Amino acid sequence: MNVRNTLKAAAVALSLPLLLLADISPEAPFGLTLGREATAIVGRPATPMSYAGVARRTTARVVTTEAVVVSSAAAASTAAATSAAAAQQQAVAQQQAATAQQQAAVAQQQAAVAQQQAQAAGAPAIGTVVPALPAGCAAVAKGGVEYYQCGNVWYRAAFQGNNLVYVTVAQP
Amino acid sequence: MQSTLRNTFRAAGLAALLTLAAATVASAQPAGIDPQATKLLRASTDFLASQQRFSVESRNTLEVVLTSGQKIQFGHAARMWVQRPNKLRADRTGDLVEQSFYYDGKSLTLLNPGDKYFATVAAPGTLEEMLDMARTKLDIIAPAGDLIYKNAYDILMTDVTQGFVVGKGVVEGVLCDHLAFRAPHVDWQIWIQEGKEPLPRKLVITTRDQPNAPQFSVVATKWNLKPVFTPQTFAFRAPSGARQVEFLPLAKR
Repeated sequence: MNVRNTLKAAAVALSLPLLLLADISPEAPFGLTLGREATAIVGRPATPMSYAGVARRTTARVVTTEAVVVSSAAAASTAAATSAAAAQQQAVAQQQAATAQQQAAVAQQQAAVAQQQAQAAGAPAIGTVVPALPAGCAAVAKGGVEYYQCGNVWYRAAFQGNNLVYVTVAQP
Repeated sequence: MQSTLRNTFRAAGLAALLTLAAATVASAQPAGIDPQATKLLRASTDFLASQQRFSVESRNTLEVVLTSGQKIQFGHAARMWVQRPNKLRADRTGDLVEQSFYYDGKSLTLLNPGDKYFATVAAPGTLEEMLDMARTKLDIIAPAGDLIYKNAYDILMTDVTQGFVVGKGVVEGVLCDHLAFRAPHVDWQIWIQEGKEPLPRKLVITTRDQPNAPQFSVVATKWNLKPVFTPQTFAFRAPSGARQVEFLPLAKR
């Protein structure tokens, strides 16, 4: 998988938010992981430029990824609390914030690993959305619908926003 | 005033090499919203809203910030055909996607020609309602779609706290007024063609609340205010071998 493909898959996953990024990052070569992309529209509270809007969209999108979101949110609030407590001593606060950030990163990584392990142990839950099919899937047409069989996991293509994604479904 | 500001920036740009820039630029930015900037913007949005049909070709650039902080840039060429009040077609092709968007007044279709997948959904009866629905229900974003709305001025100016005329600029060989605006989470700049057809020629959006402030920019390379449309321009017909899929609902809480 070359870098562009990795970035493409990751960028497709961007709007599917944090967890999928975490999903992708372990496979990315050279430690490439994506942060966020630029907003393509201006204005109105409901658009991605709105901070609250981003949070809403992210929350709405996270279906299978609660573990990671929760852990990173917890880490973030820890960081915030740490920073607040240390506000009087700025130098210390900065150090702690940096530490907290590291902890958050570690927590995210751990959660990603946990997710991977969970997936390795059993099939992903029905309704799990992935930006790309795993290797070794076969296209199978049933009842006029095209499915992808990847071992004992079945996927269907779908659009999520502008992105083409794959969703796990029950065996047809 | 306009030339003064631009000259100040120019001086600051030169001074940047001498590390004097920050102070100079900071002093160059006026407080509040300059009425001249909003006047020029409104002239452009009103002009575009009054065009019953148009097509535009553009070059879009999207930045993504890696978690390392490094910025990566992706480019797309886009074409858009608009017939008010209820028809839109847009094609994008480039680094990340190859995608066509069809809206015929009744339904909205997204087609990935390379993957040969498409999805169709019923849509409201006007462009504005359709764009709202696409964004809020399906999370489909028409890049720079802000400009298509009839009330584009109000949308663009939502939450804007500062705005000023940077000066004259040239985009694709066309002389433009260069405006800069600032809202709580986003900075944006627009270049508007000078003269009787004040078309937007360039738009840059800086997402300030993301690390390293990635930018999206769109440069209009060709405007056509007298395009010839056929029914096929807006009506989706599935290419042979294309497979229909669903849109995933946005909200699963």
